[in-house]
Amino acid sequence: MGTLILYLIVLIITSLGIFLWMRDRTKHHRPRILTNKVKSKLEPYLYILPVFILLLLMFGYPLINSFVMAFENYKLSAPNDIRFNGLGNFIKLFSDSDILIVIENSLIYVIASVAGQFILGMTLALALKKKFRGRGLYQSIVFLPWAFSAFVIGLMFRWSFNGEYGVVNDLLLKFGLIRERIAWLGTPGLSLLVVIFAMIWMGVPFFAIMDLAALQSIPSDVYEAADIDGCGTIKKFFSITLPYIKPTVIMTLLLRTIWIFNSFDLIVVITNGGPANTSQTLPSFMYTRAFASYDFGLAAALGIILMLVLAVYSVIFLRITNYNKAGDF
Amino acid sequence: MSSHAKKIFYGIGRFLLLTIFLLFVVLPIYWLIVTAFKTAPEIINAQEVTYFPKTFTLSNFNELFKMYNYWQLLKNSLIVSGSTAICITLLSILGGYGLARYNFRGKDTMVIFFLITQMIPGILVIIPLYVILTQAGFIDTLFGLFIFYLIANLPFCVITMRSFFVRIPYSLEEAAQVDGCTKIGTLLKIVIPIMFPGIVAVFVFAFIGAWNELIAGTIFINSPEIWTIPVGLKTLIGKYDVNWGVLMAGGVLALLPTAVMFAFMQKFVVEGLTAGAVKE
Repeated sequence: MGTLILYLIVLIITSLGIFLWMRDRTKHHRPRILTNKVKSKLEPYLYILPVFILLLLMFGYPLINSFVMAFENYKLSAPNDIRFNGLGNFIKLFSDSDILIVIENSLIYVIASVAGQFILGMTLALALKKKFRGRGLYQSIVFLPWAFSAFVIGLMFRWSFNGEYGVVNDLLLKFGLIRERIAWLGTPGLSLLVVIFAMIWMGVPFFAIMDLAALQSIPSDVYEAADIDGCGTIKKFFSITLPYIKPTVIMTLLLRTIWIFNSFDLIVVITNGGPANTSQTLPSFMYTRAFASYDFGLAAALGIILMLVLAVYSVIFLRITNYNKAGDF
Repeated sequence: MSSHAKKIFYGIGRFLLLTIFLLFVVLPIYWLIVTAFKTAPEIINAQEVTYFPKTFTLSNFNELFKMYNYWQLLKNSLIVSGSTAICITLLSILGGYGLARYNFRGKDTMVIFFLITQMIPGILVIIPLYVILTQAGFIDTLFGLFIFYLIANLPFCVITMRSFFVRIPYSLEEAAQVDGCTKIGTLLKIVIPIMFPGIVAVFVFAFIGAWNELIAGTIFINSPEIWTIPVGLKTLIGKYDVNWGVLMAGGVLALLPTAVMFAFMQKFVVEGLTAGAVKE
């Protein structure tokens, strides 16, 4: 109880302080308690601190906890046997016979999903750039998957790719593309493919919305100038469109890669990692292991590794893409 | 090719492209809906897959309502998602404004901090939070879930809100201040009205993020009275054979609220993301 109440008290005091400060400022145009210079220096912090403190406490404290857990024998099923066990969790993790295939799956899953979403999302955004009748309605439908829950999307695809009663097999049979039904979810390799397909379906709208917004904020006179200079469509795309939307593209790619890498609800719903771990990725592996045996130490160890991998990836990605305006998307 | 022919050529290409995208999105949804209205024998019929229900039935929905107190689930989901979205919107306006309008020490560090929070695997927060909430007596309550959804969605919303503010020309605010408006007065009377689409967008982001979350829900919540919709539906799969008809009916009902909300709001989302840039 104690920790949480402490958090709440700190939060309430901070927000109260900010509220009073603001009221103070609205009342007197030139308050005399502090000199204006000091005030204007403090001002930005007043806006940001509520968010920052909240996030720092609520991410920081659990994260430190997790970090400690990673080096402990921490099983919820044996609460009296929690003790430091050094690198035990990490050794256990890497001596798992399936770990290599899980790492491989993770890479395939992330790269294929991000690439698919990005290419399709970008294409859709370009196609939607110019106004046409019914564009609003069209967007409302095509962007829908973005508002859907991964859980229901997972169910939808699990049912569509059902080996016996699934609509996908039926369609493929009717079009003569296959001769007999395929057990999509029961075949190693194919089950991961279904997950990737569902992931792409789910993520296209995010890229399309972000890219479309970026495209629409390019001032039209730039294109007009290019037209006068006799630029072709392809040249316009590479020398105007792309540079303009580059920050958006970089940031959405980065965020999306991180999110997809960490997400596992689709996998849990569609295949649950099966058959025999052939569609398991690192986070879903972590989830099933952690909650099958309540071995939180092991889950925390894997979580720490995932985070480090993502941090290294982000730094490299931002370096390569020459992105120096952090957060500007 | 003459420029006229070229135009027609592009037009047809674009039309085809847009049609393909439409089918790509609509077909799986259609399949979900159609299955929800079929009878059980028609759903599990390996001989013949029907593309429209032969016998149209509401029995799947009836069965769902018999198994769950659906209105309770809906209410729980609404309470959690609504309060999350309201709190996030307020906090994001403040945070986003601060990040967009000022240069101050530690700003870059803060932005990087927001980025880092996105890299943290959910489980690393969920597990310790589970322990904390248990100690605090908030496990198995909607409040515990609210806390998690709040922090999970806040960083992205603040950063998004920041980018909305950046796109509104500062000159507008300056003008208001010259006319004697205070900082807060400017924020309330000038900035927020212009920002309306952006604010709606952030609200929708936060609401949908909380509405659709499953994993933390299943971990934090046990009692059926406070299940959210995805947590309730999850109990339909696993134990016995999957009852696809009921499951798809549940899926339709789970998607309906956010789908309707999004259909109306998507204009604001795109508008919010582009706002201001036009007039700069």
